[in-house]
Formats: sequence, C-alpha cells, structure tokens
Amino acid sequence: MASKPWTKGVLITTVFLILLPVSLLAIWTFTGRWPWPGLLPKTYTLRTWQELLFGTASLGKLLQSSILLALVTAGVSTVVALMTARACVVYLGAAGRWIQWMGMLPLIIPGTVLTIGCHLVLLQLRLSDTWLGVLLVHVLTALPYSMAILTDLTARVGTKLEEQAQLLGASGFTAFYHGSLPGLMPGIFASMSMAFILSYSQYFSTLIVGGGRVQTLALVMVPYIQSGDRPLASVYAVAFTGSALLVFAILEGAAGLFRPKGGR
Amino acid sequence: MKHLKLKALLLSGLLALNFTACGTAPASSQAGSSSAASSAVSQAEFMNLETASWEEIVEAARGTTVTFYGWGGDENRNRWLNTTVADYLKENYDLTLEVVGMNIEDILAKLAGEKQAGTQQGSIDMIWINGENFYSAKENGLLYGPFTDKLRNMEQYIDTEDTETLYDFSKPIEGYEAPYAKAQVVMYHDTAVTPNAPANAQELLEFCKQNPGKVTYPALPDFTGSAFVRNIVYELCGWEQFQTMEPDYETVKAAIEPALEYLRSLNPYLWNQGQTFPESSTTVDSMFADGELVMSMSYGPFSVASGIEQGLLADTTETFVFENGTIGNTNYMAVAFNSPNKAGAMVAINAILSADLQLTQYETLKELPVVDMDKLSEEEKADFEAVDLGQGVLSQEELLSHRLPEMPADLVPVIEEIWLKEVVGKTNS
Amino acid sequence: MNQTRKAVVLLLPFGALMALLVVGCAQVMIQSFGWVPAFSLRQWTLDYYQTVLQDESFVASFWLSFRIAALSSLGSMLVGTVLCAALTKAGGMEQAVTYLVRLPILVPHAVVALFVIQLLSQTGLVARVGYAFGFLEDSSQFPQFLYTGEGNGVVLAYLWKEIPFVAYFTLALMGSIRQGLGQAAENLGASPLKSFWFVTLPLSLPAILRSGLILFLFAFGGYELPMLLGATLPKALPVQAYLEYLSPELRDRPYAMAMYGVILVLSLVLAGGYALLMQKTLKRLGGDADGQ
Repeated sequence: MASKPWTKGVLITTVFLILLPVSLLAIWTFTGRWPWPGLLPKTYTLRTWQELLFGTASLGKLLQSSILLALVTAGVSTVVALMTARACVVYLGAAGRWIQWMGMLPLIIPGTVLTIGCHLVLLQLRLSDTWLGVLLVHVLTALPYSMAILTDLTARVGTKLEEQAQLLGASGFTAFYHGSLPGLMPGIFASMSMAFILSYSQYFSTLIVGGGRVQTLALVMVPYIQSGDRPLASVYAVAFTGSALLVFAILEGAAGLFRPKGGR
Repeated sequence: MKHLKLKALLLSGLLALNFTACGTAPASSQAGSSSAASSAVSQAEFMNLETASWEEIVEAARGTTVTFYGWGGDENRNRWLNTTVADYLKENYDLTLEVVGMNIEDILAKLAGEKQAGTQQGSIDMIWINGENFYSAKENGLLYGPFTDKLRNMEQYIDTEDTETLYDFSKPIEGYEAPYAKAQVVMYHDTAVTPNAPANAQELLEFCKQNPGKVTYPALPDFTGSAFVRNIVYELCGWEQFQTMEPDYETVKAAIEPALEYLRSLNPYLWNQGQTFPESSTTVDSMFADGELVMSMSYGPFSVASGIEQGLLADTTETFVFENGTIGNTNYMAVAFNSPNKAGAMVAINAILSADLQLTQYETLKELPVVDMDKLSEEEKADFEAVDLGQGVLSQEELLSHRLPEMPADLVPVIEEIWLKEVVGKTNS
Repeated sequence: MNQTRKAVVLLLPFGALMALLVVGCAQVMIQSFGWVPAFSLRQWTLDYYQTVLQDESFVASFWLSFRIAALSSLGSMLVGTVLCAALTKAGGMEQAVTYLVRLPILVPHAVVALFVIQLLSQTGLVARVGYAFGFLEDSSQFPQFLYTGEGNGVVLAYLWKEIPFVAYFTLALMGSIRQGLGQAAENLGASPLKSFWFVTLPLSLPAILRSGLILFLFAFGGYELPMLLGATLPKALPVQAYLEYLSPELRDRPYAMAMYGVILVLSLVLAGGYALLMQKTLKRLGGDADGQ
C-alpha cells in the first residue's frame, strides 16, 4: 500500500511521455510555418492531408500493398513457427532445443547483416526485386518472435486432446484441428500481431531486397522524414500508426472471438 | 538413437540446401539458360533499337509501363511526375509511368549488383542522374546508350552544341543521357532577420561571425552541400585550374588548401561549431524555416518562390548569389543497361524534353528549363516568358550571368572525401 | 520412421528459411575475406579486416555503436523493470496503461526519430517551453542532443521505444511471480520492497536480461535511427558499412563486408556468451532446487 503514490507517479509519467510526442505529431500534420520560439504554429494548412488523401502517393494502394504483405508475413511466420514447434515438441524431444536455438538466429544477427546476406542469395535465386523475396526476408525477421510465442504454448497444450480424438477415429488433421488448435488460438493471434507489426515497419530490408519494386508505407515515409519535411512526414506517420492500430484491433477482436471457445 | 539419426538427416538436408543455393551463383552469372527465352526477347529488342526508326520505337512503347527511378524526397516533383507527366505520356503515347523514389547511390548499387549477378532484365528503366554518379555509372557499364540521337525532341528543342548538352561535369556525355532540368546554387535569407546578404566568401565569414551558430550547410555528399563547397573552392582558388586536374587525393588537396583553411575558419561560428552538419539540404531548409538558421541554400534557383507560395517561408525571404557567381549544372535522364523497356524509356525521356512538359516544369516546379529559347516557336516562347516566378527570386538573366561551370566529375568524390577528413570538426591551429 | 519423416516434413520450411539466412551470412563472410569471383577477386586474405580495424574512423564508428547499444539496452532494462513493477500492481489505471504501453512497440523507429526531432532539437518543443519560461534566451543555448558524435539523440529514441518493450515482455512473468512467491514472502512478513528485491526481481531477471540482449543486438546493428539522428562523423557502424557497400568501386565491396563481418561476429559472440551464462545459471538454480 505504501508504494501506491510512487506507482502512480511512474504511470502518469509514462502516459505523459507516450502521449506527448503523439499529440505533437498530430499538430505537425496541420502546420504551415512554425518559427522559433512560438509554442504553437504560426500558420496552419491542410496541405499534407490533401497530399496524403488526394495526392499522388495513392495512399489506398500503399495501404493495400503494405497490409497485404504484412498479413501474409504474419500468416506464413505463424504457420512455419507452428510446424517447427510441433516438430520440436511432439517428435524431437530434447533435440528440439537445438532447433529452437537456431530459430533465434534472425534475432541475434543484426537486421542490416541479415538483409545484405539474404540479398546476396536472393539475387542469385533471381528473387531480388520481387514480392516473394521481400516476403521471405520479412518472415525470417518475424520468425523468432512467432517461435518464442508458439513453442512454449505447444508444449503446454500438449497432444492429449488430439490423441483422444484420434482414438475416437478422427484423422490426423481433424484431430489437430479440434483437439489442439483451440488451445493454440491465443498464441496464434499473438504471433500474428507481432509478425504483422514487424513486417509493417520494415524499412531497410524492403528497400534493399525490394529494390523499389515493392512499395510499402514505411518505404515511402522514411524519405520524407530524412528530407526534413516534418508536416508531410508527420501525416505519413499518422497514417502508418493509425492503420497499424486498426489492423491490431481487428486481430485482437478476432482473438477475443476465439477465446471463450478455447476452453482452457 | 532416433534423435541422433534425425539430427544427421537434418544437417545433411541443410547442407544440401546450402549447396544448391551456392551452386546457382556461377550458373546464373553465365546468363542462365533457364531465362534464355526472356533474354532473347530483350536481345531482339536491343538489336531493333539500334536500327529502329523513331516511329517504330514509339510503336514498341505503346501500352507498356516505364519505371523512373530517382530521388523521392521532393513532394512537388513527385506530384508533377505522377500527374502532369504521367497523364501526358498516357494520352500521347499510351505509356504508363511508374515513379520510384530512391537515392542515386542505392540505384547505382542495385544496378551494380544486377550487373554482377548477370541480370539481363532489371527493373529500372530511366534514372535521374548527373555528375560523378553519371561518370561512374557510364564507366562501369551501368547505362544503356548512346540513345539521345534517336530522340525527336533532342533536335527540335535542345541546343545540341551547348557544353551542358555535350558534357556533364566536364565529362563527355556521348549520348548516354538527355537533359532534364537546369540547376544553379543560390542562397537565401530572411531580410527581416538579417538585412544584408554576403556577396562573397569574406563577407560570408563576417556574416557567420555576426550570427554565431546560425549558419551551416548540408553535409557532403549531399548535392547542394557538395556544390556549395565547390563554390567556396572557386571563390578562393578560381575554377580554371581544375578543368584538367588529376583526381588524385594529394594533388587536389594541395590545390584547394586555401578553401579548406577558409572552411575550417568558418567552423567555430557554424551551427554546432561545425562538429556536425545536417544530412540533407531539405533538413537545412526546414531548420531555416524554423528560425534555427539565418541562411539556407538550394540547387533550385526559384525554390524560395515555391516556399513562399506554400506558406513554408516568410514573405521577406530573398534569394542571393555571390558576385563572382555560383555553380550551375544540368541534371539528366539516363537509361539503365538492363532496362526491360528501353523503347518506353526513350519515349518518356523524349516527352520530358518537349516544350510542353518543360514549360509545366518551369511553371509548377520553378526549375530552369533545358530547352533552347531560339528553337522555340513564337507562341512557345511567349508561354515561357509569361511564367510568373513569384516572390523572392532572382531573374533568369541575373542567374545566367552569374553561372559558373562545374568541376570535372572525378574530382567531386575526391573533394568530398577531403572535406570529411579535413574540415568536419576541425579548426585551424 | 514414420515419425521421423513427419518431423522432417514439418521442419522443411523452417530449414529453407534458415538456409537462406545461413548461406547469406556465409557469403558475407566469404566476401569479407576477399573472395568475390564476380569482381575477379580470388585471393583469400585478411587484408580487408586489417585495413578496416586499423582505420581510425572505423574504430570511432565501432565505439559509437557500442555506446549507443550499451546505453540504450541498459537504460531500457533499468527503467523498463521499474515500469513493469509499477504495472504489476493490479488496478484499473494499470490496465489502461498496460494497453497504452503497447503503442511505442507498434510505432516504427523512423517515426520515433521524428518524435525526437520535434521534441528535442534545438528548436523543438522542449526548447520552446524553456524559452517561454525564460530558461533560454536563444535556441542555440539548448543542449544539442541530436546529430552529435555521442549519439545521445539515438539513445533517447531507442529508450522511448524499448522501455515499454522490456516492461511489456516481462509483465506476464513478473505478474505471476509477484502474485505467487512475492505475495507469499509478504505474508511471511517481508516488506513489499524487500519481497520485490529478493524474490520477484531475481526470478524475473532472465526475462529482463534476455530482452536487454535483444535490444543491445538490435541497437548495435540498427540502421534507421543512427541514419536519421546521427552526426556527420563518426557514423554508427551499420551506417558506415552501408555507405561503404554503396561505393561505386565494386572491388571495394570486401571492405563493407568486413565491417558487416565485425558486426556479425560480435553479435554471435555476445549471444553465445549469454547462452553459456544462462545455461550455467540454470544448472546452478536447478542444482539448488534439487538439493531442497
């Protein structure tokens, strides 16, 4: 009880520090001129919103391609992680530890090295500049997170329900679908959310491997941040964060739908 | 026991995968037999282009898509390309333009990577390029050409004998790129903050002393920053001696020593004491707009007018140049060596050379046009003259009378390297 | 046999992805030793490493990256633990904040760079507030956080994003420990602070350290933030390496690869060291548990 005011202080500071830059970002999207030392902009304009919504960057197309790429990354990363986790937990036992360690490699190897290395291979496979090539690198980046989430869960859920179903005559996949999958559902959504956001915010790997042919919101946004056009950069940042939150909320809602049925 | 066997199996599987992945390297660099079909098509197209008439090229481009790679940090230019130019190409040639924003260094690294991997069909058609990047790209065989002799509008609108049509940073163009727009270094300040603008390097030093911490220039190799430093070199060392200089570090360093000394003497009065410099010219622009700096500079001689129009700059902002002049150059469009649509690229480049599009570029982007005024019809000429450039800029005549030629392209990276080693964070001891 | 085959099939996609990564990194290493047949470089040599490691600007880049990684991971672990402790106190407000804390995890690094510029540049909001209250007379009096050779702006940006990361990923573990063993200790008479310090914290430490390691490696090899907020000189290692990679002189490529090689080897060594340490600690803990 004694630590209550202290706790409150930490939490209020946190809220303030998180919300301050976000609200500042919102103001910047409407800013025309904001000379020193004004606390508020001198002139306001809708320039950036017009550019974003009706301009040439075709926000709709960008959102579509970025969200599609990120969702496919999320799906593939989750499925690969599920398959790997199952192989480790159900069939490999102790040797599975070895695979799990290997799965952490993309997290250990810094993103720049990972990208340059994969790019060399993808070039030879003629997969650079392609959507598939970018997808592979994004999946690789997201995989450790998906595996971390799903391996423990697979072990915890176990295969008892599934084996019972099989004893009752269900085929392998049906047994998995009705036996183990419901218990895995929360983890699947957590893995998808994480993989989604990782892919959605990739810049360097999309730039190098996609070679400009694979356009995403992050790829278009960074040059504006780099070039110091803060109002325009801000409006892209708002579009980015807003759309990511929306997809997150949808994933969360979907996870909620599954939870009661999951039957822990 | 079972696990051991499995591990071995997995290991050999991984090794096999490794092996196949490595094995593709030599195979693909021999122009891969699997893609022989597609490269044969491009080969045929290539042969065609050499002998094809302009009408055949236009016909070949019909219904295709052409991609234009170049710096993507300028919202106005992106909009102009994506609307005015794209619509023009669609209407007149049924050609779809796709604009991809990418830094020129990334573009060239990408092309070099594709050259290394033997990629016959790349993804870049046209490139926005000039100077040392053009020189190294051409030297390394990353560009397709010569092609400009094919373009109708080259003859019709461009002064083909002009030095800036024949040479890019003193290096022969030989038909490997066509002019896009003319640029000239200008500086600008807010007369409400600093009434007087410096007219030469010595006055600039005084100006910095009066406004300590409020002047800077973009870090090289930013185009504008690099041009500004070359301009300082011209101020203090003249420009004639560089036209034939060997691109050797020590030679160049000795020649520009007075300029290096001058730049170091600026440092104590610069933003952040010259310990660090803003990464790009656009960053300098926004620092100026915020009032963090009292002076900024641009490659676009009329950019102040756009800034005032958009409400990003104060009405009292004025453009100025040094009395001895500032560096002017042209930027160009080239075609990638492995462009999958060379015909389309040529048609698009040709269109951008037209009086129509050059006029819109002059009007909306306020870029100096590359067309030869003497080759224009009376009507076209009147259109160009009628363009209202807006506030805070110098006239075209004033600019052209203060225009200095560029340095040879191969000296540029040398100067950039010297600047990094001898100027950043250094003072004269 | 059937079982083994099933396992192999299940592992195939994973194996393919790992092969892509391992072969890619192997090629980076091979090129760093001067073997790039495509540019007719066919001499195995350590020269590139030698040149790179002796280069003054590389050494400066290395320490800058190390400093950024160390400060941002240490800071995130410390403050993240405090935040996590505050969040594990159940209650309505805590729940709302837990929700909000996920926002920084979702915001990409480039946008965080924008935040830092808008807040902490010499004409940023903080400096303007300082001026309004009369602490500053001019923007140039505000301390320079951004674009400096110390990389403080980069560290601040990482902290904003990664403190919540540590807190969020330790939350589940710390929450359950606190409710279980921590509560038990308090019931036995330990003060809340003591119970936290001697029970909850040590048991949460593996999770905290793991996220710290991840953050260190990420910051050490990260490109966006130092690219957007860094100084002209020295540049962070990944930025410097990429600049070298972009060099139009293709035969210089091994220099870039040697820089990537240094990043790669250091990351692997650090992660390996962590793994060994954890294994030893786990064994010791396991031994204790057995003994009890």
